[in-house]
Amino acid sequence: MTPRMPAWLDPSPWPDGRRATPADVERALACDDPDPRELAALLSPAAHPFMEIMAQRARALTRRHFGRIISMYAPLYLANYCTNGCAYCGFASDRVQPRRRLELPEAEEEMAALKEMGFEEVLLLTGERTSHAGFDYLLECVSLAAQRFHAVGIEAFPMTTREYALLAEAGCSGVTLYQETYDPRRYDLLHRWGPKKDYLDRLDAPARAMEAGMRTVGLGVLLGLSDPVFDAVCLLRHAGHLRRIHWKSGITLSFPRLRPQAGNFAAMFPVDEAWLARLVFAVRIVLPDVPLLLSTRERPEFRDGMAGLGISKMSAGSRTSVGGYGEAEPATEGQFQVGDTRSVPEFCSMLRSRGLEPVFRNRDSVFRDAEAGGHG
Amino acid sequence: MKREPGGEGMERQGKVQDEWTVGGHRFSSRLLMGTGKFQDAETMVGAVLASGAQIVTVALRRVGRIPREDDMLGPLGELKEITLMPNTSGARNASEAIRAARLGRELCGSPFVKVEIHPNPHHLMPDPIETFEAARVLAAEGFVVMPYMPADPVLAKRLEDVGCASLMPLGSAIGSGNGLATAGMLRLILRDARIPVIVDAGLRSPSEAAAALEMGCDAVLVNSAVAASGDPVAMAAAFAQAVGAGRNAHRAGLMPRGGGTALATSPLTAFLSVEGP
Repeated sequence: MTPRMPAWLDPSPWPDGRRATPADVERALACDDPDPRELAALLSPAAHPFMEIMAQRARALTRRHFGRIISMYAPLYLANYCTNGCAYCGFASDRVQPRRRLELPEAEEEMAALKEMGFEEVLLLTGERTSHAGFDYLLECVSLAAQRFHAVGIEAFPMTTREYALLAEAGCSGVTLYQETYDPRRYDLLHRWGPKKDYLDRLDAPARAMEAGMRTVGLGVLLGLSDPVFDAVCLLRHAGHLRRIHWKSGITLSFPRLRPQAGNFAAMFPVDEAWLARLVFAVRIVLPDVPLLLSTRERPEFRDGMAGLGISKMSAGSRTSVGGYGEAEPATEGQFQVGDTRSVPEFCSMLRSRGLEPVFRNRDSVFRDAEAGGHG
Repeated sequence: MKREPGGEGMERQGKVQDEWTVGGHRFSSRLLMGTGKFQDAETMVGAVLASGAQIVTVALRRVGRIPREDDMLGPLGELKEITLMPNTSGARNASEAIRAARLGRELCGSPFVKVEIHPNPHHLMPDPIETFEAARVLAAEGFVVMPYMPADPVLAKRLEDVGCASLMPLGSAIGSGNGLATAGMLRLILRDARIPVIVDAGLRSPSEAAAALEMGCDAVLVNSAVAASGDPVAMAAAFAQAVGAGRNAHRAGLMPRGGGTALATSPLTAFLSVEGP
């Protein structure tokens, strides 16, 4: 049964927004308090001739709020067991590939490898909650990471408020959970089986994480699954809804885009680089103070161009396989194909050549305990 | 009458020194600098030097014991005569700020702390309740407490009462570049303050810094306005000049505002010259 969208997740002005005129786009660019109407105008075909203006605006707003810096983080895949049937995912339960989880000493080795690369902010990833990699396992990994890193986030399965609170207590300060698509029909179709089929449980999870005291919650949609304008408007509604209720937590937004991967899933709503760039510019214009992330899914030339142009936080040197950092021959395939395989020093020198400083330090641990300085 | 809570004009070797004092420490520069948002450490240090700032604030979340490339303390440590003021930026409540302040004293060896508590990471507006609580505790522990605060005249007096060394009301939201949007409230704070008032946050242009000093503020703190400008080093120098000009204008005393007050006849008060019974 297709779930009903809650009233606050109103996709309007989709689909009429696509009929915006150049005058609507100009109004959107001049607007002091842009909202979904302005976002839709900036994403409409009429905005095409305004790309350069939007890029300039995006850069100016990013520089004003975040300065000339790019915050750096790294993903760390802990396990690829999964019981979900996401049609687009390389880790889906019907994909035949080696399954494993990092045992705690192995996880520590991966963390040591990331520290060696200079990272202080780590994002721990797993698949769906399984007996191999469930909540207790994740909690132990968070505790290990919190002893080593300035900031620890997780990207896993939806949890209860109580579970999120336990993770926060163990030193986790961020939860990333993409809705993938806000279109309930497409969501139901693409999530063929498993707990992830529960659209509303997933939709509500970021609010639970905030209620449990997480400093930041990362939202996003997987571009390519549904009409990207619909999803972009809903993403903005979701962010606005959370900001109004949980005003003490922050939001970050990511822009993962479907690329060819293990499942050979073809995107039904392909998003090209130019459109992705426009989406980032438009979101930056509408949300000037929200960190926007870009991962290594994208190719180097695109990432170079987007750094500071709306994007304020990036990963580099990423491995999307379990055990990818410490092991010469990782036993599993990656969740997705890495498009930018440059090393961290290479990536950083690119940033510097563009007048941007990579910043690794983001010590949430300063606020946890006075002894945290010992790990600096 | 000029308000001179932290300032003293002193004759010294025939030259007027215009210093101000905060927490028993004497400074001549009235421009404080933030160190975030710069494209590299070299530009940051260049801007600090060009600004002539003697107090520089560093975010504790960017500081560590082991020096690294993106560590703020390393390059700043090379500067002589700079007072480091660690800030608790990122703290969401009083207890987080207090922990960070204690760590800052340990790492930077500075009694100064800029208490900065903003539970909302997007607009970064300071939480008055948590700020008051953290200021109270830290002042009692002997810190030189410099609270970043909303431009609220009552909160200003409350913070003064618990032993803060200065007040740091915002001109407008951090990084907004909206200038002295709180000018009216700042005037009320200035009128009654016994400790230095430093406008912190929101400035975009040197003329706004000059206006703050003209108004009677003891100093201003800038960061984004310099770091996000076209040429941070040149902009830092421009702010230094503006702050000097604003301060000199304040000391000189502006002429009264407006005209049209000189009337040849006094139709409303003419009756007063008529002798009564």
